[in-house]
Amino acid sequence: MNGTDGRHGESCRLIAVEAESRVFSRLRATIAWQTLRSMVSGARLRLALVVLLSAVFWGLLYGLFFEGFSFLDSIHAEVISLVFNAFFSSLMVMLVFSTGILLYGNMYCSPEARLLLTLPVRAEAIFAHKFIDAMWFSSWGFILLGSPMLVAYGIVRGAPWTYYLLLLPFMLSFAMIPAAVGGVLCMTFVAWLGQLRVHALALLLGVVAAGAVWLGWSLLGSAAAGGVTAEWFDTVITRLSIAEQKFLPSWWLSSGLIEAARWREQPEARFASLSEAVKFLAVLVSNGMLLYLLARRLAGSTYRLGFSQLVGEMPARRQRRIAWFDEALSAAGTARGRPMRLLLVKDLRLFRRDISQWSQFAIFFGLLGFYFFNLRSFHYNLAYASMISFLNLAVAGLILSTFTTRFVYPMISLEGRRFWILGLLPVHRDQIVWSKFLFSFIGGVLPCCGLLCLSDSMLGISFALLCVHEICGVVLCLGLSGIAVGLGAWMPDLREPSPAKIAAGFGGTLCLVLSSLFIVGVVTVAAIPTYLAMAGEAFGGAGPSPTGLFGLASGPLGTAISLLIVAILGAIATCVPLQLGLRAFRWLEP
Amino acid sequence: MIEFDHVSRTYGPKPAVTDLSLRIPRGELFALLGPNGAGKTTTIKMLVGLLRPSRGAVRICGHDLVKETRAAHLHTGYVPDEPTLYDKLTGREFLWFIADMFGMPRSLAAEKIGREIDHFELADCADDLAESYSLGMRQRLVFAAALLHDPDVLVLDEPMVGLDPRSVRIVKDLLRSLTRDGMTVFMSTHTLAMAEELADRVGIMVRGTLRFLGTIAELRDQMATDSTSLENLYLELTNVPPAASIGSSSVEPTGTR
Repeated sequence: MNGTDGRHGESCRLIAVEAESRVFSRLRATIAWQTLRSMVSGARLRLALVVLLSAVFWGLLYGLFFEGFSFLDSIHAEVISLVFNAFFSSLMVMLVFSTGILLYGNMYCSPEARLLLTLPVRAEAIFAHKFIDAMWFSSWGFILLGSPMLVAYGIVRGAPWTYYLLLLPFMLSFAMIPAAVGGVLCMTFVAWLGQLRVHALALLLGVVAAGAVWLGWSLLGSAAAGGVTAEWFDTVITRLSIAEQKFLPSWWLSSGLIEAARWREQPEARFASLSEAVKFLAVLVSNGMLLYLLARRLAGSTYRLGFSQLVGEMPARRQRRIAWFDEALSAAGTARGRPMRLLLVKDLRLFRRDISQWSQFAIFFGLLGFYFFNLRSFHYNLAYASMISFLNLAVAGLILSTFTTRFVYPMISLEGRRFWILGLLPVHRDQIVWSKFLFSFIGGVLPCCGLLCLSDSMLGISFALLCVHEICGVVLCLGLSGIAVGLGAWMPDLREPSPAKIAAGFGGTLCLVLSSLFIVGVVTVAAIPTYLAMAGEAFGGAGPSPTGLFGLASGPLGTAISLLIVAILGAIATCVPLQLGLRAFRWLEP
Repeated sequence: MIEFDHVSRTYGPKPAVTDLSLRIPRGELFALLGPNGAGKTTTIKMLVGLLRPSRGAVRICGHDLVKETRAAHLHTGYVPDEPTLYDKLTGREFLWFIADMFGMPRSLAAEKIGREIDHFELADCADDLAESYSLGMRQRLVFAAALLHDPDVLVLDEPMVGLDPRSVRIVKDLLRSLTRDGMTVFMSTHTLAMAEELADRVGIMVRGTLRFLGTIAELRDQMATDSTSLENLYLELTNVPPAASIGSSSVEPTGTR
């Protein structure tokens, strides 16, 4: 093939694979450098806060894992292998899906892909460029979560310096395997399954979910008869050992890390352990490279074909089956409130038609519901049940906070490109913010309070405590919606079209941190009277007098005071961010 | 230079382009006109390799867009309707990226980047990040990138959107000069005046079919109407009753071959 014929003569030519890689590497390096430079020059405080928050998060995780490994090391060191295998195999499944979804967006739906596909560059090179992006985005959580865990393990086990040197290569080579599998699945679905890809993906997700449910059932169900006993623990250990399959990359990683850390216990076999660790690393690297090459090869033959098929598909037909609900919602109430209802209907339609939103919502709350539904399998005393009920309240809040951060916080920013429509409508800008708040609150309060009711009824909690939990649930929904919508309106990113990137930015991080602090505050304050009452019962006659301050704090008065503080916390979390957001949004110049 | 050989493309069961045969020789400026949904964008996407034909073949300088995609792209410059840039690259860095992708030698690339920056009057903003560019500046930068490697074929999709009158004049003058030098230009546009002013030939698409192909003078002759404005001729040609009458219209695509 002559690449230099035509009027351009010698001015251009097809470049080699290595040159393509160099050009893309240079592109990524330049973009990273310019992004960093913009952050340092324009948002120094923001950058410092992100670094500080990440460091605090890392430190907290490190402390948690250090305590956990010290405990396990002292009682049953072999369990660590099991924990590693279970953790890394679950992570592997999640990385397959997250990388696959990211690659789908980056390779088939992004404007950059449309630009690159019109340049004389190999499809494989575009895939490689997008693969590195997707792998980084999907693996940063693994690095942030995994590095404190593995460092803590190394310190507890007294690992040599070579262990720390091998950590990053181990993590990266491991992450490459599920990422490449995700890439292969993504390209296969797009190129060959056509319109069936949504069904195929749903089927795959269903199989994985069914596997998780079966495993959960088999682990928890066995405790139904006899409670949490040593036998039950042995059963759990045995069943979890299915994750210890020698053909799984998670086993190679676990074994490699354990070998690399083996130093203190067998000084005479140190070199042999290191050799074993390097061998496992080599297995990971070679398999990662092989799978990556397969994915790259597949990209060469199917990427352009798949892109063409996807671009050429007919837009999905709108489902009109539930349009009556939208119409009923629009028509209900007074004429004065109609603009707000119309905005709500618009957001509801967008939510319904965005598979990533409702599927994650359904998966998170569905799994939580499944867990709550199985609580009856265990036998609890009252104190233990009360403790679990408050933990469940915290879990429901945390899940809701991930949802508000990921989907509600970016809502105002995503209006950026269509702001001119909203700006010209005869509605006050405040109504736009309030409609998002209402959308988030109504969408959150129904599943949250329903699940809390389910949890408490399964645990056999008293009606009074159930009421406390429900009040806390409502306050959590109000506060989390206030934080997400308020911060979203206060610091919108009107230029960024990707909600994931908006949520991953500074504002999203701040939203998640504030939401977590708010949840911890509400649950702690709400739990104090119950725990004082439990402590009083535990101490029995030797405890403080039930008529003293202790008794007052653990009685109805204490509950009333704690609920009052919860309400105040909720009011602050709702009103302060909303006020900031409303004020900023009124003067926003898109 | 550009050849559509019995090209058809369907979206599901719906035909978007039907049996399009068209040859555009070297040095010609061809304007593709048609109402919304006529199949212009599908035709452009097939010409730049983003879509594959369901039937037939598209060739640029003899290179089949499906079988020899990269070789065909080497001869092509493309200005899309919505300019795509990397927001965190400066204009100059973006041009370097494009030059590297086309394998241009460094010294030649530096010379051509300077030339295009001058052509499109980008000197003041060439070292600013693209995220600060207005729509017109983005469009000018995309033009500069498309012309950087002196392509044989320039594909323009609604090229004047977002450009101010001065930039429009620059682009028009440049297109005239480039076609004189032998570049083939394939342009999709709704701006009839520009097609009338610049195009050597026009094609008018209606519902995926090329209903007319020829010069403006031929269009006037063929329509046998008193009207002199291209707008009236265009509206008359495209204002057809639904479906059935397309095939039986008295207007035959004269240049279809």
